[in-house]
Amino acid sequence: MEQNQNIKKKGWVNWILFFATIIIVFLLGMLANSVTQRRTEARLVNTPKVQIKDYEPRNKIWGENYPREYQSYLLTADTGFRSMFNGSGLTDMLELNPKMVILWAGYAFSKDYNQPRGHYYAVNDVRMTLRTGSPLKPDEGPQPSTCWACKSPDVPRMMNEVGISDFYKAKWAFYGPEIHNPIGCADCHDPKTMKLRISRPALIEAFQAMGKDINKVSHNEMRSLVCAQCHVEYYFKGDGKYLTFPWEKGTTVEKIEEYYDSYQFKDWEHALSKAPMLKAQHPDYELFTMGIHAERGVSCADCHMPYISEGGQKYTNHHIQSPLNNINASCQVCHRESEQTLVKNVYDRQIKNAELREKAEQLLVKAHVEAKAAWDAGATETDMKDILQLIRQAQWRWDFAVAGHGSSFHAPVEVARILGNSIERVQEARVMLAKLHAKLGIKEVKYPDISTKDKAQAYIGLDMKKLKEEKEVFVKTVLPEWDKKAEERESKW
Amino acid sequence: MIKRVFQIIRPEGKWKIAASVIGGAFLGIAIYLFIVSNASSYLSDDPATCVNCHLMSPQYSTWYHSSHREVTNCNDCHVPHNNVINKYFFKAKDGLRHATVFTLRNEPQVIFIKSAGIKVVQENCKRCHEKLNENTELKNLTGEKYLRGEDKVCWSCHREVPHGRVNSLSSTVHTFAPLPEDIKLKK
Repeated sequence: MEQNQNIKKKGWVNWILFFATIIIVFLLGMLANSVTQRRTEARLVNTPKVQIKDYEPRNKIWGENYPREYQSYLLTADTGFRSMFNGSGLTDMLELNPKMVILWAGYAFSKDYNQPRGHYYAVNDVRMTLRTGSPLKPDEGPQPSTCWACKSPDVPRMMNEVGISDFYKAKWAFYGPEIHNPIGCADCHDPKTMKLRISRPALIEAFQAMGKDINKVSHNEMRSLVCAQCHVEYYFKGDGKYLTFPWEKGTTVEKIEEYYDSYQFKDWEHALSKAPMLKAQHPDYELFTMGIHAERGVSCADCHMPYISEGGQKYTNHHIQSPLNNINASCQVCHRESEQTLVKNVYDRQIKNAELREKAEQLLVKAHVEAKAAWDAGATETDMKDILQLIRQAQWRWDFAVAGHGSSFHAPVEVARILGNSIERVQEARVMLAKLHAKLGIKEVKYPDISTKDKAQAYIGLDMKKLKEEKEVFVKTVLPEWDKKAEERESKW
Repeated sequence: MIKRVFQIIRPEGKWKIAASVIGGAFLGIAIYLFIVSNASSYLSDDPATCVNCHLMSPQYSTWYHSSHREVTNCNDCHVPHNNVINKYFFKAKDGLRHATVFTLRNEPQVIFIKSAGIKVVQENCKRCHEKLNENTELKNLTGEKYLRGEDKVCWSCHREVPHGRVNSLSSTVHTFAPLPEDIKLKK
């Protein structure tokens, strides 16, 4: 009887032992498999699967040959990252800082201006912004086709088909059905050799204008120059709206201004002050070259697309993003400080420049309103001429310093210098305005309430409701047509 | 003794055959694992062992191109040498941590030395260079003081010794580092 119970008890223990062993052996098998796999992976090299033809704009076709690069590129669709001042999602900058509505009064940027998202959204976001308007026909709308220039690898394809200047000449809506794929592989790579390649004529022409040959740069310089095809200050030259980088005299804020001044170029006339304004686009590359990292030979890709190692294979991370979201693979390659310290070092520089930026903006808003008051009280062209020049210079400097989202880190000293000069000029303008006001008998200037984007836009007389309604119609009727045509075309390739 | 332990864990009657089969499978796969992971090499001092997992290739290459190659291997600096037990205890502890991180694919792109390693390396600097630093009192520097923020360690100033200043996993990927033995290319 007693023995019987013993056997029963022992049987129960044995079952546990049996199943535990199954699990352990199973896990050991998985471990052995993992060891074998990880010892082999260092030897595996990628073999191309498809032949990529020249001007192939579809990123997923390239992705079949280069899956690691493509998959990391797809991560530019992520919008979840926020740093102190920037992030990877769309942020309405006019809502965040309504002063900019006043600064850009009379110019499309006062309608709509967002912090940008990743390359993945390039085509979508330029279609959706109010700045490109709501053209219902191919020859309508406020913007030229030049606005597509940086948005898609379909652009070099079309330039090759129709010619460069003819591409720029058309209306933006004209090439709507053609520009379909967001910024991607063909924008920077040669499809046969995978070498970095400049696909945009504007950068090649800018080098020629400076007397340099872009074919004679090193690979490391190319790792910045492919970015400089777009992340630069540019303008649309003449009636042909020819995309041009104003680098002929140099790439500093003063040299570019000298270039624009040399033939009295203005982007627009300010709606309040009537000053002949310049709009800085995003001189990321120009300002980056003024910073310490560029001076030490670091390229854009070193931090924004750091090399990574996966299973013993080295490749470039194509998730182009803020290095603040990847301190380990970017900063810490050279800097042995903790992530916390490095983030603080970046924020310290940004916070100090943001302080100067805020001052410059407040003063510029006042200057525009005060200039308007002077015009309203009967000021003459001669009274205003020097004042308006100073406002133009001050705002050009402010815009140049802040339009690139990374500049206050890339070149903190240069940005502070430029903002300092901006503040000096706008204050000079306001001293002259004060004298003029006294002469004209203006006792008090009423500054508008611009605490929100809506109030600021109402003050400069924008009918936002109409603009948004028109855009809605455009999105519902025109965009599906464009997509349909593009998909039909691509299905035949 | 072993026989008695075996008798205790060995089941009775009908379980005998099942237990032998399962036990055999268990042991077999363990031996296979021992061989494919080249486990015995971890008892040696050969630096090629440290690139078994191709994660330490930059560290291997930079050491290989440094003057330290002539006189040291990885263990001379990276495991303690105050006594044999401590040496193998530290080696096992560090090695198992590395193995776990590598198996879970958890490795960071840029590797930092941990505080335990700092103390060990600093002691090993002094172990060889003691005479050189006698007059300057630099032999009094310790990893402990450094970690409390009170003092420097040797490589606070000798920053390039011996692994250089660029620290990414991929930084020296095109230089020579041995591939694990059994999968070397046959010529």
